[in-house]
Amino acid sequence: MLETRNLSAGYGAITVLWDVNLKFRSGALTAIVGPNGAGKTTLLRALTGLIPHTGAILLDGAPLKGKTWDLAAQGVVMVPEGRLVFRDMTVEENLCLGAYPERCRGDLSANLERMYSFFPRLKERRSQLAGSLSGGEAQMVAMGRGLMAQPRILLIDEPSLGLAPVIVNEVFDIIRRLKAEGTTIVLIEQNTRIALSVADDVHLIRTGKVVMSEPAASVDLDRLHDLYFAREGQGA
Amino acid sequence: MSDTASSRLLSGRSLAMAGGLVVVGLLPLAAGASPYMLGLLISSLILAGLGLSWALLGNLGGMVSFGHAAFFGVGSYASALLAAKLGVPVLLAIPLAGGVATLSSLAMLPALRLSGPYFALAILAYAQIFRILATEASWLTGGAAGLQRFPGLPTVFGFNFAERHGSYVLVLGMVVLCALIYVVIRRSYVGIALRAIAESEDATRVVGVNSTLLKTWMLMLSAFIAGMFGALNAHIIGFLEPDYAFSGIWSVMPIIGAVFGGYRSVIGPVFGAVVIYMFDQVIAKSLIPVGHQILLGIVLAGMVLLAPNGLAGLVGRIFSRTGGKHHARA
Repeated sequence: MLETRNLSAGYGAITVLWDVNLKFRSGALTAIVGPNGAGKTTLLRALTGLIPHTGAILLDGAPLKGKTWDLAAQGVVMVPEGRLVFRDMTVEENLCLGAYPERCRGDLSANLERMYSFFPRLKERRSQLAGSLSGGEAQMVAMGRGLMAQPRILLIDEPSLGLAPVIVNEVFDIIRRLKAEGTTIVLIEQNTRIALSVADDVHLIRTGKVVMSEPAASVDLDRLHDLYFAREGQGA
Repeated sequence: MSDTASSRLLSGRSLAMAGGLVVVGLLPLAAGASPYMLGLLISSLILAGLGLSWALLGNLGGMVSFGHAAFFGVGSYASALLAAKLGVPVLLAIPLAGGVATLSSLAMLPALRLSGPYFALAILAYAQIFRILATEASWLTGGAAGLQRFPGLPTVFGFNFAERHGSYVLVLGMVVLCALIYVVIRRSYVGIALRAIAESEDATRVVGVNSTLLKTWMLMLSAFIAGMFGALNAHIIGFLEPDYAFSGIWSVMPIIGAVFGGYRSVIGPVFGAVVIYMFDQVIAKSLIPVGHQILLGIVLAGMVLLAPNGLAGLVGRIFSRTGGKHHARA
């Protein structure tokens, strides 16, 4: 289980996240929803050590150790937002890079085949430059690269960003399959409806604070939207 | 490229490349080139090796260096002094000098925090430190008067490396060896990671790459290779002075050669350095005895305009046009 205690983080003198206490249950999909600028991506960047933080991040009760690049070795893997792929490298090179941590290098071809079973289209595109892919395919490469690291905990940042609705559904089908296989997933998402459809737990972040934490089953979408858009007066 | 998945680091292709380099490299010997011509070719191969070390840092490490003269000069002085003052055998002193150049590169580690033009400027300034050191520490280096009495290349098993043909073969072998090392690194996990760092350092860190460490290794390896070629050159020339060993030429020529030949390929910097140097010495010098470098500038500008990927890119383009290489979907 991944857990934050009084986590605060920001950029330079500006604090974006304030005393965030979250629990990400093992084997569950936890969705972090919230409007633009709420601090969702900042949360992921703090979790992965890309920006400094105060407070604690615990993995199975012990503080998460090391720098950003040490986390992948411990199974905490991030799929960055904006379909960040290495454009001048082939699809397969992008994917192989995901298996960079020492423990993933064993059977590279078996690892690739397992990943291709999730993304058959990437197999067709394996020797193509990643920069020439469509948005949906690039998102799949970013996720496939994450899978290659054989994550225990997969942090996915805004997978629906800028994708056509059909493609979004395709991406979320894959997220469902990953979840069914037992991967712990932390999903950052603005699209509350689709996030709710896959999530076990939902946390709403607004202006750097957690304003709602509930099991997805008990979340009422209207009430969530009232909180999301800060329409407290009119809610319920 | 899809065979990066296999762990075979030395593919048939790269060995064929190495074999081709050796064959092409030995042609001048077979053709009975004059000692004067061989001398020029040796110098061009020294620049080719230096160009490889520059391209290794520039292409794989994503760091543009204007200061390879520092590593080259440190290597040449280190080898000459080790051989002259401590009596180290020359063929051992050369790799040791590479080690000393590597140590000198550690002083540059703070500059790794910089990127792009800031790194280039920092390393430009850094190169001057060693020229000044070599001038001022005259008790060790002979100062501005230079260093003359140090051993040349030895004779091993009846093969005289000090003689032109021998030196040529030795330098050629070193260039091929360094090219192979470059290929092995580029095809490894480290190589893929380094290319990724050049695109997005954050995204590379997230997948578990210690980018700072990898860049440090590349800087050290690049310095090692540059230092060894500096050492080779010192023992072949037999004379050192600070203004020569740390001359800006050693920073600029490998860049010109690599850009001309195609700095993104392994073979580009090698052929680029040889072609550019021979052009400069044989053709440009006979046309304009003083200021012949101006022709280099014109040729380089033309190359950048017509073939931004250099000779290697040009050759590749011709081959893909005739070979009908299949194109990826846009």
